[in-house]
Amino acid sequence: MTSTGFTPGRILRLSLLIIGSLIFLAPYIFIISTAGKAQDDIFTSALKLIPTHFYYVENIAKALSKVSMGTLLFNGVLVCGLIFFFQVLIAIPCAYAMAKLKFPAARMMMVLVMLGLLVPIHATALPLYVGFNSLSLLNSYTALVAPFSISVFAIFMFLQFFRSMPDDLIHAARLDGMSEIGIVARVIVPNAWPAVTAFAIFSVVAHWNDLYWPLIVITKQEYFTPPLGLMYFRAAEAGDDYGALMAATLIITLPLVAAFLLAQKRFVEGITMTGLKG
Amino acid sequence: MASIVATSLPMQAAAARERNEARTALLFALPAIILIVLFIIVPIVAVVVLGFTDFQLGDKSLRFVAFENYAHLLRDRAFVKSLWNTATYTAIVAPVSIALGLGVALLIESEGIGRSFFRTAYFLPVASLIVAMATVWQYLFHPTIGPINALLGEIGVHGPNWLGSSATALYSLSIIGVWQSVGFNMVLFLAGLTAIPRELYAAAEVDGAKSAWDRFWLVTWPMLGPTTLFVTTISIINAVKVFDTVKALTDGGPNHASEVLLFTIYQEGFVYLRVGYASAMTTVFLAILVVLTFLQYRVQDRQVHYT
Amino acid sequence: MKHITQILAAAAISMVVTVPAYAETTLTVHYPMPGFFKNVMDTISKKFMEENPDIKIQFAAPSATYEEGIQTILRQAGTSEMPDVTFIGLNRLRMIDERNVAVDLGPLVKKEGNMAEKGFSDTILKLAQVKGKQVGLAFATSNPIMYYNADLVKAAGGNPDNPPKTWDEVITLAGKIKALGNGVDGMDFRWQGDDWMFSALLFGAGGKMLNDDESKVAFNGPEGQKAVELIQRFVKEGGMPVFTKAAGEQAFAAGKVGFEFQTTGALVNTIKNVGTKFDLRTAKLPLIDPVNGRLPTGGNAVVILTHDPVKEEAAWKFAKFAAGPYGASVVVPGTGYVPNNELAAKSAEYLGDFYKKNPLFQAGLSQMSIMVPWYAFPGANGVKVTQTIVDNLSRIVDGSAAPKEALEDAASDVEGLLPRS
Repeated sequence: MTSTGFTPGRILRLSLLIIGSLIFLAPYIFIISTAGKAQDDIFTSALKLIPTHFYYVENIAKALSKVSMGTLLFNGVLVCGLIFFFQVLIAIPCAYAMAKLKFPAARMMMVLVMLGLLVPIHATALPLYVGFNSLSLLNSYTALVAPFSISVFAIFMFLQFFRSMPDDLIHAARLDGMSEIGIVARVIVPNAWPAVTAFAIFSVVAHWNDLYWPLIVITKQEYFTPPLGLMYFRAAEAGDDYGALMAATLIITLPLVAAFLLAQKRFVEGITMTGLKG
Repeated sequence: MASIVATSLPMQAAAARERNEARTALLFALPAIILIVLFIIVPIVAVVVLGFTDFQLGDKSLRFVAFENYAHLLRDRAFVKSLWNTATYTAIVAPVSIALGLGVALLIESEGIGRSFFRTAYFLPVASLIVAMATVWQYLFHPTIGPINALLGEIGVHGPNWLGSSATALYSLSIIGVWQSVGFNMVLFLAGLTAIPRELYAAAEVDGAKSAWDRFWLVTWPMLGPTTLFVTTISIINAVKVFDTVKALTDGGPNHASEVLLFTIYQEGFVYLRVGYASAMTTVFLAILVVLTFLQYRVQDRQVHYT
Repeated sequence: MKHITQILAAAAISMVVTVPAYAETTLTVHYPMPGFFKNVMDTISKKFMEENPDIKIQFAAPSATYEEGIQTILRQAGTSEMPDVTFIGLNRLRMIDERNVAVDLGPLVKKEGNMAEKGFSDTILKLAQVKGKQVGLAFATSNPIMYYNADLVKAAGGNPDNPPKTWDEVITLAGKIKALGNGVDGMDFRWQGDDWMFSALLFGAGGKMLNDDESKVAFNGPEGQKAVELIQRFVKEGGMPVFTKAAGEQAFAAGKVGFEFQTTGALVNTIKNVGTKFDLRTAKLPLIDPVNGRLPTGGNAVVILTHDPVKEEAAWKFAKFAAGPYGASVVVPGTGYVPNNELAAKSAEYLGDFYKKNPLFQAGLSQMSIMVPWYAFPGANGVKVTQTIVDNLSRIVDGSAAPKEALEDAASDVEGLLPRS
């Protein structure tokens, strides 16, 4: 579908994409610009993208010194990694069962899944908090990971994906005498690669950036996730130190960008690995 | 006698296989079921029960007040305004972000160079912490020193007081909402697009589909069915669940102009500490979501075909 | 499932390991607004630990605002997560007292005997009392002041060395500044967020929020009327636009606003944001009634939450230290708050020289004699009450309601939220 040479259609396509990218990236341009400005350089009446004095080193130093970036990033990786692992572990068999196996409770399962999708953490936070507190599990990795180990989003996503998978592969495996677990491990998982990668992106992004739940269950600094660390820069009454805040944002967003770039490549690899593209 | 046995054996085997299959399926789904009950069902029940009390955060005891909270809800102007705002926000953000997400995905998919760059560019907003993006957006939207109004001024348009005026606050938040969701939908559509077998396009061309528009209508759109269903459901639900942008940028203001359901619930429960009342609101909120999603799913599921 | 037990085991082990080997009291301290209190808290706690080697201070996750701070405390009240010491907004002390969460400092003050000698005069002690009960010790206190852009004042024909003393003068000058054009606005008054600045006008006119037995609203009396009419004049004659709090601060820092009226607590940040862009000055806030007018006290107080006797004693030491002259000498230059401790303000050892060298900080200091407590509404709906007042003020500012109407609506809404006695 890709044309060689620049037809008018292609020029139009590219222009749209580029203009769109600029609009979408505009806030980031400002973040990078502000991260390099001294505090009095930020709010000026004239629009200035290039800082008057390059303050990147100072702002990044301020960002690094106000909070222990190493702990933040480590916790972010650990928590997101654990959450993703459990989510996939639990969701794939469940979605497979709902998509490919005959299952009396499938309808009810679907209802449960839909219900789960609808319920935001803001609604269930209070009872969950009370529960974790009575088990003395606050301020722990368990509290950060457990509520999210079930991702109905994952089940829903894999379900749609598995439904459109041809049954022949599975029938063939059954005829070969494979057990259901074997089918899941050796037929489904390798073929589910694009869905798993896509889901990985959503899961990691959602939980890396989650402020609400960690804010409620974590008060000890050694368990801080990246968003909690950013809180240090906010002072409601007297205004924020925007330069340092932007520098800290950069430091926290960069791992995600890197991860997404990596995942993209796997995404493409994953497609060519499966027989689906034909 | 023999013939009955002969026919019943395969049937028995089939029945046994079916039971086996059902058991395996249940086993596969069991961890998920347990966790859903534990982390979703039980808290929801707790919330519904709390909706019948006057519990305040920090209280040592609570009182059952039956439907008093719900009666109060009907008369609460702020709640009604919230409902309306949430509906407006969803009606703008969901369709626009779905359409743009699909558009961008199609453009990227059919373009050879720069795919990685474009995918990252459009997805970046999804990956960003709203608490930090909020300060940037607040600056971009500043009525007098912000770049957006400065640019508008260049072309002779007097930019509005985006976040400060009750007429435009909600729409400004919608713009940010679209900005945040397009990348999300784009990735989903990309996954869906790559799963469409190429032979179908070849077959369509043989059948006389010449232009890109024909190809889209005949092959792409129908094959994207399951993906579109998924994207629509997720987009609507996410739009109704908006909270972070409102909290970070306008606090529901000015004067409730941009207040949305989840924010009102948060205010009542965690700021005014009226947890009983907030729980009643949450119950109503969940009921609305359930009905909405049920309807939407029913409508679209019929139109989707699976291979 | 195996992994969860592993994690639980690891968590349990880590919790055991962090308990120190020798008998040392560890205090967990919680505070709001880390953006500028973090450095202050770090400095104070470091000095305290130097002088008290047997006490260790560790900080819990700070809260972004006073409201979030008190929510966190109320949510954690009675659980193992509750910190030992916290800092609470002065107008929320009542709320924490009504729920019996804080330790009554009265007996501790009495045992001390000579609080006044340490700079804790009666006036200062009163700031953190609720109906005579000592709920905390005032840590950082502020009052509202007038910031102005001397360059814009000069350009509009005013004299920056002789700032306006009455509201009429302010409005006239602000109007002239707005007439300068070029995207400049005359003034910005911080009515958003909570009822503090409104009470600055109300108390400045000699008015009160509620009547003496707290059963009826009194802010819709003649003083309140004068206050809201003034706000309307700000908009109509003084060139005040409908700014959000952040937008207003940023526009002023960019040099696009003539006068800004907000807390002296924002002083240090304003100085940093303004830099050398223009000549920043401060002055006293005009009072509608120069004789009887008073100003509300913003800020927060240190409150002790732990009832464990050993920790409580350590916490009392820390509270006195933080709210004492050393603490004040750190807070004032770091933020712009006024000293909550008379010893600090006067003696050269602490802040005496500082005020001579930093004239911008003098505006807040000079208003200390007319500071009265930030009013805390009774009952469970305190937070909603302040929000209701702000919502109605916003209707006056954006022109969708006349001052009298908005004031009456606020009064009736608030009365509905007061506790039924």
